[in-house]
Amino acid sequence: MSITNTKTSICFSSSSSLPESVRLAQVTMQGGSSGIGYGLKYQSRCISDVKADTDYTSFLTGTLSLKEENEVHLLRLSSGGSELICEGLFSHPNEIWDLASCPFDQRIFSTVFSTGESFGAAIWQIPELYGQLNSPQLERVASLDAHVGKINCVLWWPSGRCDKLISIDEQNIFLWSLDCSKKSAEVLSKDSAGMLHSLSGGAWDPHDVNAVAATGESSVQFWDLRTMKKVNSIEHAHVRGVDYNPKREHILVTAEDESGIHVWDLRKAKVPVQELPGHTHWTWAVRCNPEYDGLILSAGTDSVVNLWYASATSSDDKTSESPVESTRQRVNPLLNSYTDYEDSVYGLAWSSREPWVFASLSYDGRVIIESVKPFLPRI
Amino acid sequence: MATEAAPMDEKAKRMRDLLSSFYAPDPSISTSNSSISASFDNINSTSFDADQYMDLMIKKSNLEVLLQRHVQMAAEIKNLDTDLQMLVYENYNKFISATDTIKRMKSNIFGMEGNMDQLLQKIMSVQSRSDGVNTSLFEKREHIEKLHRTRNLLRKVQFIYDLPARLQKCIKSEAYGDAVRFYTGAMPILKVYGDTSFQDCRRASEEAIEIIIKNLQTKLFSDSESIQARAEAAVLLKQLDVPVDSLKAKLLEKLEQSLDGLQIKPEEASKLVEHDDSSNDTESNDQHPAKIHEDAVRGFSEAMRAYREIFPDSEERLFKLARALTAMHFENMELYIRKRVSAADFLGIFRIIWEDVVLMDEVLPEAALSDLSAEAAQVTLKQFVARTFSHLQQDISDTLLKFDINQKEAVEGEVLKVILEASQKAVLQGTTNIFQDFRQLLDENAGIFIKMRDLISGWIQKGFQDFFRSLEAQFLVLSGKTSSSNDIEGKSSDKIHAGLILVLAQLSVFIEQKVIPRVTEEIAASFSGGNSQAFENGPAFIPGELCRVFHAASEKLLQHYIDTRTQKVSVLLRKRFKTPNWVKHKEPREVHMYVDMFLHELEEVGKEVKQVLPQGTFRKHKRTDSNGSNTTTSSRSNTLHSDKMTRSNSQRARSQLFETHLAKLFKQKVEIFTKVEFTQESVVTTTVKLCLKSLQEYVRLQTFNRSGFQQIQLDIQFLKAPLKETVEDEAAIDFLLDEVIVAASERCLDVIPLEPPILDKLIQAKLAKSKEHNNNNTVSS
Repeated sequence: MSITNTKTSICFSSSSSLPESVRLAQVTMQGGSSGIGYGLKYQSRCISDVKADTDYTSFLTGTLSLKEENEVHLLRLSSGGSELICEGLFSHPNEIWDLASCPFDQRIFSTVFSTGESFGAAIWQIPELYGQLNSPQLERVASLDAHVGKINCVLWWPSGRCDKLISIDEQNIFLWSLDCSKKSAEVLSKDSAGMLHSLSGGAWDPHDVNAVAATGESSVQFWDLRTMKKVNSIEHAHVRGVDYNPKREHILVTAEDESGIHVWDLRKAKVPVQELPGHTHWTWAVRCNPEYDGLILSAGTDSVVNLWYASATSSDDKTSESPVESTRQRVNPLLNSYTDYEDSVYGLAWSSREPWVFASLSYDGRVIIESVKPFLPRI
Repeated sequence: MATEAAPMDEKAKRMRDLLSSFYAPDPSISTSNSSISASFDNINSTSFDADQYMDLMIKKSNLEVLLQRHVQMAAEIKNLDTDLQMLVYENYNKFISATDTIKRMKSNIFGMEGNMDQLLQKIMSVQSRSDGVNTSLFEKREHIEKLHRTRNLLRKVQFIYDLPARLQKCIKSEAYGDAVRFYTGAMPILKVYGDTSFQDCRRASEEAIEIIIKNLQTKLFSDSESIQARAEAAVLLKQLDVPVDSLKAKLLEKLEQSLDGLQIKPEEASKLVEHDDSSNDTESNDQHPAKIHEDAVRGFSEAMRAYREIFPDSEERLFKLARALTAMHFENMELYIRKRVSAADFLGIFRIIWEDVVLMDEVLPEAALSDLSAEAAQVTLKQFVARTFSHLQQDISDTLLKFDINQKEAVEGEVLKVILEASQKAVLQGTTNIFQDFRQLLDENAGIFIKMRDLISGWIQKGFQDFFRSLEAQFLVLSGKTSSSNDIEGKSSDKIHAGLILVLAQLSVFIEQKVIPRVTEEIAASFSGGNSQAFENGPAFIPGELCRVFHAASEKLLQHYIDTRTQKVSVLLRKRFKTPNWVKHKEPREVHMYVDMFLHELEEVGKEVKQVLPQGTFRKHKRTDSNGSNTTTSSRSNTLHSDKMTRSNSQRARSQLFETHLAKLFKQKVEIFTKVEFTQESVVTTTVKLCLKSLQEYVRLQTFNRSGFQQIQLDIQFLKAPLKETVEDEAAIDFLLDEVIVAASERCLDVIPLEPPILDKLIQAKLAKSKEHNNNNTVSS
């Protein structure tokens, strides 16, 4: 990539005095990539698909700045798919470590934030008249303030309208019941993973709403929410990211520091069903496509986003073949590498409205929207 | 008239035509004959129309010609008239003469009847006379016939009375054939009258026959007799109605018993071959096992030949026997090659078996022994080839693992190097040996081998292909990269020494660059025959594919090595960053000890790498000029120079990110994740890069207070010098170390770097301490 190329693609939202709704993103990337870029002011880690927005493909992202005023950006992909428009810009009191949009109300989302010394988690609502305000404040719906340690993430009920939430800190997992009208949240149940397993993240099983996976230092652990007890675990070290395959039950994808990406069948959790090489450095995040089975996106600290196709042989009919042989026979699972990033990529989200579109966020605050349409025929 | 050959003038021709038309049954034939075209002007045609002809004439010709034609025609008509008259006269004449002839015949026939009657009378008299003669001679003839019969009967009686004596005589002269003939001749009479008139005779002759049977049986069983004699004996016995089946069974049993003796037992097999080469010198020596075996087989086949001639009707049993022997041979052979066997030994045994088969085949060509054995030989050979390869693979992995066990006890020193060299040698030597062995197979001229030469080449090629493929798979399993399907092995793979992975990686390179080309050459030189054959199940030896496979494997293994190494460091760093509360960090007093551990790990990597990998050409400052391969990914320096950092907080705060971005634009790109090469430097550099990148990522996850930041700063500062010493790509290391500092400063609540003098002092203190530590170590040891 040449220098001139990059120059055009970087855009700063450097002045907050501009009317937010007209802040446009730079569109073209000359390196053959069709990505649409958007620049955040500060460094940032998390981006989330606004699932409840059925009219537009939109994403929520928040900045991670220790000393500056942090912002939450609501981005919308224009109907032509060629522009990324900032629909709203809201100030957020602290740096944002995790952000998740509510699956049933597009104005509600959760954040995990840090003041530098302590962590907190809260549910926010975007103010109704934000278009007219200059720098609208977010309404705090509820605080999830039962945590002591470092909070990792907040998970929403996987689909549909339900007031259940899960939050995971380093040692505990909490199940919350949220009441938007009363603006309160209360703990339904909690469980401790133990001191030794410092948890780092998790995912809610879309097929079985009673199951939640949480990643730990040396294993992936599974909770049954009805009893709030640990039921299962995969002993596998250094898992960074985890995601359930929304199209196929029992299939879980994990991303690890050194050893890449593994696809697991939870019924036979000893040996991975498939192994993908992952990234040159750590594989940070991994996301299964909500619509196309086997399409996996991974982001790494080597400043690359990889698009994989883990073919569907991981199903029930393939039992005799050992995973070693089957991966061997398969063609290269890597469909594409998106390399237009300047820093580690931590944020990654598929759009649920247009499942061929994904948003990625590198640490330097650049959002890039890409379409994987050119690769769909290869599946 | 038609037979007239004389040349015909116009007139004669017309005459003939007319006549033929007259006589011809079908007028159309004559017309078609006489006139070529039935046009109007042809007078002779049947369809001639006089008026038309006239018209045509008048139209066509002038008066003169017409006149001429008229004259001509009148003449022709006159001629025709006379001709017709002549014809009538001639025919009439013929009729008259025919009537005359018939009249004459009638008068001649009258006298014949009387003569006929006379003839009949004469014949009758001849017949009555001959009857008279016949009746007069009848009585005499009857008498003569009676006499003759009596004489015959007497002769027979005489024969029977003589039979015992005659049989005795035959026994004496061993003319058993005659004896049997006599006896069987007399049999019907003896049967009928044996109980009455010829009682004594019968008893005596039966006794004699008994002796004969006994003699015959002994003859049949004695091996010393000629086969023909034995066969005759068998035939005679059969004529005497002695039950032969039991005899047959006995003989077969004998043959079957001898089979056991003929087996080449796996234990003895090697003995058989041992002296094979020196057989010329020890020909006289009967102890030679191969010779003994050969004789035994020869004896066996002779016996079979005899049996066959004796009992030609029961060949099937023999076939079965011979087949059983062949099958047994090959079964034993399979057992034999289960152990390690050199090709020479294998061939030796094979030759012996083939000789046996040839011997037997001579006797029983119908048994299709050679086909059977060719099939069996194919199977065995194929197995042999397969086994040879699996042995080689076993050897290689043995070499690899043998040393690994020593590794833990022995001095670290050069163990990896030893393993590498040993395994390289094992691979090379192994393939060379295999080629030697197989060449022997190909050079062998024994019957079946010639036929199978193509097949063998094919197997060898396929064998190599499979061998290398499975070797690669084994490498991966050994390295723990791919855990084998059973769990037990998967667990043991956790403990795999990282050095072994490195050795495997280098060994893969060695195989890719040295061994496969060599094997390809060898195959092209000696085993190319099989190529013509189409392998349905997959192609034979494809060096290109294998090279690719091993290339990929070597890269994978090297990557795996780096991964396992960096993983260790990663764990180290993780602990380092998880444990303290960075926000409440105390002022840095010294360089943290994880730095030592990190450096120690690197040192170990350096040591291992030095033993195994070649030294690369020294390349300093790898920047954008390097290969534009796709796998390289890049990151841009967002270095904040120390002078920037010393600026006041507030001033920097707003524009910090902007500056970093700007800096990125103008700073030359430094490639962090370059492709790993098989050199000491490249591997070390990559390891260091990955570790530093991890360090950066860990830093980014924390929040620091001032002291925490200063601690990081101190540690990084300390790392700078030793890292630069070990690593080829200084620019990248500088960049990455800066990145760590930048990351820490970004994550710091209150960035005030340590003053350079204090930094220096702390580092010096650390250096002094480690020096002292080293000294202590050396003293104590």
